[in-house]
Amino acid sequence: MTEFPLDPGARFPDLDLPDHTGRLRRLSDVAGGDPVALICSRGWWCPKEQRYLRELTAVQDEFEVAYARIVVVSIDAPEVQSSFRAGLGARFVFLSDSERRWLDRLGLLEHTDTTHRPYRPMGFTLFPDLTIHAVYPGYWYWGRATMEELRADMRTISRAIRDAWEPG
Amino acid sequence: MTEHGARLCWDGHRLEVGEASVGRCFFADARCFHGARVTPAWAHVCALPDEAARMPFDQPEVQQVRRDALAWWIPLLGDALVCLSTLALDEVHYGGAVTVARRADAFTDDPFARLFGGTIVETDLFAAVDPPPGPVLERYAGAPWPGGRF
Repeated sequence: MTEFPLDPGARFPDLDLPDHTGRLRRLSDVAGGDPVALICSRGWWCPKEQRYLRELTAVQDEFEVAYARIVVVSIDAPEVQSSFRAGLGARFVFLSDSERRWLDRLGLLEHTDTTHRPYRPMGFTLFPDLTIHAVYPGYWYWGRATMEELRADMRTISRAIRDAWEPG
Repeated sequence: MTEHGARLCWDGHRLEVGEASVGRCFFADARCFHGARVTPAWAHVCALPDEAARMPFDQPEVQQVRRDALAWWIPLLGDALVCLSTLALDEVHYGGAVTVARRADAFTDDPFARLFGGTIVETDLFAAVDPPPGPVLERYAGAPWPGGRF
């Protein structure tokens, strides 16, 4: 069960978790007024996560110049995330829920993995105020947001929030 | 303080903040001067007093050094990091960068030193600012990275 409805139009909780350097961060501060692609990840060991996060790393250049964020949440410890991030060549923020403080509250426990008890591989695209734009269930790998879907969502959110989207 | 940030001046030996400062003056992320000042702290000033030491913010090497800051420089500093800012000269030009840390020996790998050489000075001017999660470019022309938000 979840304390929070994680549906489009609802507000995603303002997670307070250490980042990959161990520094406590709030999701809203990391968003910093920009749209967010929030990716829940099983962890570094999962081949699907390794593949998917390489996709995100490949698209990070676009997020960085388009004033948007990629944020990954997993149960890996900060030092593990930091190593994984460095290996990927990622520059985006990882948030560590190694104590699983938010996992159960969000109702995102991956029930089939009783060894790691990780997050389900869900994805959310968020407005800067953390209102959910779209939800991607993530199972079977094909359930994850493609990079084209993330681009389309960032475009839709940016169009809604940025001044002077249309010329003139 | 202006829309371009806080005025920070550097004569090659001393850092000063404010209108009466001497030396070459830049604009730095204003958040670095809000709140409690961190002491002891050291600033690695990767900027030169020479007015000719400048380059456009849009140069690829200025983009890349900021990518490096996000990728590994900030994680490498860890808890030692106090704040960092690029140093803007005007709406177009990058004049350098300053990284402030709680240790004087933290700056060996500073990627900003690739652009302009660095000098370490002890300082009590700077407040702690959370490290940036992005972007890699300034938000408004002349607004020193990583400051500001839309």
